[in-house]
Amino acid sequence: MKNLFALLFFILLFSSCTVQQPLYSWSKYEQASYNYLKNSDANSAQFLIETYQKIIDKQEGTRKIVPPGVYADYGFILLQSDKEEEGKTMLLKEVETYPESKVFITNVLKILEQ
Amino acid sequence: MKKLLLVISALGILLSGCTTTAPVSKFSAYRGLYEARPVSVLIMPPINRSTNVEAKEYFHSTLNVPIANAGYYVIPPFLSMEILKRESAFDSELFFDVPLTKFGEVFGADLALFTVIHKWDKTGLLSQVYVEIEYILKSIATNEILYTRKGNITYDTSVSTGASGVFGALADIAASAINTAATKYVDVARICNAYTFKDLPAGKYSPVYLTDSTQVAGPKEFTVRLNSQYK
Repeated sequence: MKNLFALLFFILLFSSCTVQQPLYSWSKYEQASYNYLKNSDANSAQFLIETYQKIIDKQEGTRKIVPPGVYADYGFILLQSDKEEEGKTMLLKEVETYPESKVFITNVLKILEQ
Repeated sequence: MKKLLLVISALGILLSGCTTTAPVSKFSAYRGLYEARPVSVLIMPPINRSTNVEAKEYFHSTLNVPIANAGYYVIPPFLSMEILKRESAFDSELFFDVPLTKFGEVFGADLALFTVIHKWDKTGLLSQVYVEIEYILKSIATNEILYTRKGNITYDTSVSTGASGVFGALADIAASAINTAATKYVDVARICNAYTFKDLPAGKYSPVYLTDSTQVAGPKEFTVRLNSQYK
């Protein structure tokens, strides 16, 4: 009987301890996006680009998939720096990874072609 | 007799837990979200009622990470902000009470996140950073408000860590370094986001999608005071 109580106690203890692991890892995204908004110069753009690359190359989140919006925003920053082909490739990767982005990205590509 | 005492004390404990308002499950608090099962979120440009003109874009940049981490698809924030500017849709005030179908057509999103920055201030003498933000998630298809919370966060930059001894001194030095260099409004706003979205029903990419409906929902409005110990 005592053992049963001990068992219950431990079950309760551990059930409340299951800390959820994050779905994605974001590298230094928060810092990089803030700097980019604040300074909007070549250095901050470069830092943001490197951060996107890190997020894409090494995903440590539980989903092991690049987080929503990263491919597309990376593509956008590349387009801003006149890297048109690379930029478009990234936009298409967003759709491939997240089909729910198709409507928006298709519209963006239309605007780009105007 | 002993038994009676036990029963009475057990009842006492039980009832003492009932003095506050009864807990509400996430399902009853955010029923519309559980029923609509939205997948994607468009972050609208924040509505800035504070005196700080920079708050709008800075705050906007803090919102995508917590919502994605909650399991939703977030429309790419930099790219969508650019399109909203181009389409002269930078002032969300104009769209709060009108049908959002156009946003559905352009962005293909299920939800629009409106935020209102009520305060984004440093309160002079006390070296406090104070943000007051309201969050409203609306269904793009029906215009229904599916989630709303309001947070008041005060971050006190002058407080010592309260730790003592050598480690305490080190901790204090570290804390004051954070204060002078990095305590930006955005950091405080991020904390406000974290508190707010702790309550957001999980999205489809989360392992607790739909099963979190029995968890207890937090209050619609909350106030939190933090000092440099908070990480």
